[in-house]
Amino acid sequence: MRRIGIWIAVGGLLLSTAACGGGDAGTGGDGGAPAAQTLSVGFVAEPANLDFTSTEGVAIPQALLVNVYEGLVKLDQNGEIVPLLAEKWEVSDDRKSYTFTLRKNVTFSSGAPFTADDVVFSLERLKTDWKLKIAAQLDVIDTVEKTDDSTVVVTLERPSNGFLYTLATRLGAMFSRTGVSDLANKPVGTGPYVLGSWRRGDSIELKPNPTYWGTKPSASSVTLKYFKDATAMNNALLTGGIDVISNVQAPESLQQFADPNRFQTIEGTTNGEVVLSMNNGRPPFDDKKVRQAVRHAIDHQALLDTAWAGRGQLIGSMVPPTDPWYEDRTGDYPYDPAKAKELLGGKTYDVKMRIPNLPYAVNSAQVVKSQLAQVGINAEIEPLEFPARWLDAVFTQADYDLSIISHVEPRDMNIFADESYYFRYDNPEFGELLAAADEGTEEEQTELRKQAAKLLSDDAAADFLFLMPNLMVAKKGITGLPKNAISESFDFTGLAKQ
Amino acid sequence: MRGRMNAGLLVGGVLVGMVVLAALVSFFWTPHDPTLVDAAGKLREPGDGYLLGADKFGRDTFSQLMVGARTTLYVGIVAVGIAAVVGTPLGMAAGMTPRGWLSELIMRVNDLVFAFPALLLAVMLGAVYGAGTLTAMIAIGVATVPAFARVARAATLQVMVTDYVLAARAAGRRRPAIAFRHVLPNIGSVLIVQASVSFAIAILAEAALSFLGFGTRPPTPSWGRMLQESQELLFSTPRLALWPGLAIALAVLGFNLLGDGLRDFLDPKLRRIRAEG
Repeated sequence: MRRIGIWIAVGGLLLSTAACGGGDAGTGGDGGAPAAQTLSVGFVAEPANLDFTSTEGVAIPQALLVNVYEGLVKLDQNGEIVPLLAEKWEVSDDRKSYTFTLRKNVTFSSGAPFTADDVVFSLERLKTDWKLKIAAQLDVIDTVEKTDDSTVVVTLERPSNGFLYTLATRLGAMFSRTGVSDLANKPVGTGPYVLGSWRRGDSIELKPNPTYWGTKPSASSVTLKYFKDATAMNNALLTGGIDVISNVQAPESLQQFADPNRFQTIEGTTNGEVVLSMNNGRPPFDDKKVRQAVRHAIDHQALLDTAWAGRGQLIGSMVPPTDPWYEDRTGDYPYDPAKAKELLGGKTYDVKMRIPNLPYAVNSAQVVKSQLAQVGINAEIEPLEFPARWLDAVFTQADYDLSIISHVEPRDMNIFADESYYFRYDNPEFGELLAAADEGTEEEQTELRKQAAKLLSDDAAADFLFLMPNLMVAKKGITGLPKNAISESFDFTGLAKQ
Repeated sequence: MRGRMNAGLLVGGVLVGMVVLAALVSFFWTPHDPTLVDAAGKLREPGDGYLLGADKFGRDTFSQLMVGARTTLYVGIVAVGIAAVVGTPLGMAAGMTPRGWLSELIMRVNDLVFAFPALLLAVMLGAVYGAGTLTAMIAIGVATVPAFARVARAATLQVMVTDYVLAARAAGRRRPAIAFRHVLPNIGSVLIVQASVSFAIAILAEAALSFLGFGTRPPTPSWGRMLQESQELLFSTPRLALWPGLAIALAVLGFNLLGDGLRDFLDPKLRRIRAEG
């Protein structure tokens, strides 16, 4: 199973002068009717267009999934799969057939009713119209059949635990048969919001969908405002230009927002494992002992404290705590420089650390370099422009020894199973464990994935520096913010201002 | 007479001297390893052998400033060197052929390069060849070439109408000989002044590039990157931004004052007027 990872597309520190707040703050007034609520949320990466069926990047589903488009199911804040457009579903005994009962009286924002035909249409489009490599994740679907207007049967080629989960991602988004002519500009979905306006390079405005089937949003307008520079976004919140910072990129700056009468800080978890990648395909990191030495040489707590202000969580393998097969693997390679030196056998190495020019990577790299130097590995840091230069040199050509990147896709341990992936990790046993996990029962899946995570850690396929925190700062009185960023979308459904 | 004349020169000389001294000493000794990360010493307050405290990585600010001075001088010397070595001969050639096609060609190309922002050139080079001190130095150097060429041309034009040059030409001396024997020594003082001023500009440019992430690579200390790293701590630990900011300001002021002082000092006309007055 191949996956192309997608990273937090944080714009590098370009020549962006401080984009000062445009004064479009929510000024509905405390005593005003709730219908007049306008909210604006600061983000870092703006979508290139609005069509996530043809354009990579997390920015598009972040804005649209669950908000404008809905799937049959969705992930809740605990990582559980819950019903959305499907009221319920039944799984056959051989676990190859799923019968979905659809919610009735649901319409698209274009006015067209949502029926079983749209489900068949949307899932078949995966094979015909989607241009993303990740669409292959649903290749396991054999047939999609309509039984009646509100019942759909999906048959799989083999049992798959990942199927239902994948339906909660953008791949499971439901499209209208009459609403896919201009996806890049005019999204048509069943969600609580519709696209209001899009000022390119600046902001996207979402408006409530007047015909929404469920609880209608209490905000009369939600604006996603995009900032290339972390300081500019901080300043926008301080001066009232925005109401929420969706992801703090400079955690040391949080002290600015310490006043509880004005601001609230929310810290949750993400799927973003910050990985110290080691090129398993060429010396010196083709040698397991050298990789193990690296894992022993790094004081992870010290790294987290200095590089990311102590925010985040140590994980030790490629699994965040919100996945059912999470185990604390931080004890596998305790900080032990003496052991690291012993593993290196007194040899010293000169290696290249080619990192993206993103704040967390540049910070972490300086700590890693300093700590590796203590055991005799001299790592030269080379920041590359992200995304283009880094993707080309490190990700595509695997021309690197060490790198640092946050892998943000949910449940993305699978990337290590692909020996052509830039880690160049090649252990067939790992792939077999994951394949067996996908076909087994849920209990078997959990057990086998635990084993796979342990194998990854034992093999020192990479070092897992920390799990990126979901750090948000909001004005006092903003409620309904999703604490954990564990799905692809930023869920605005319950967002409100008191 | 000398005291009045040298006020700028003196202050500039002292400031530049401090930067040079810090850079030279840093080769042999710094209070602490400027790149050693020490989580326990995160944001350490000044004192206890840490004269100016430590940054968020627990690295000694004073040691970083010392090694940063080295980076600053290194960039300044190479960038100004490139500009002087390329710009001076071009300017002289243009000045010695005032109405020829060569002069036109040189000066119009010069205008083109002059119109191109130095920082943009550096960011471009950084994006293509990888950001680093070397690309930053080359970009700043190339962007400074036109300034040298213009100054050299203007000074050469003045020298070319002096009696001794006219005499040398009448005596049948070849142009290269005139250039080296008569022109270069007489425009030297102007070039030194220009070098000093360009040095100040180069320091600012390096700091700006490192601030933007297109200059000196981490963890090599650079004043510009120290500023950038202290940005998120501006409200809680302002001293982290204060010291490198002060260092940049004083170094730039020093080189500017030095340039001004040298101009007064080396200009024979001004000297005579002052001596008479």
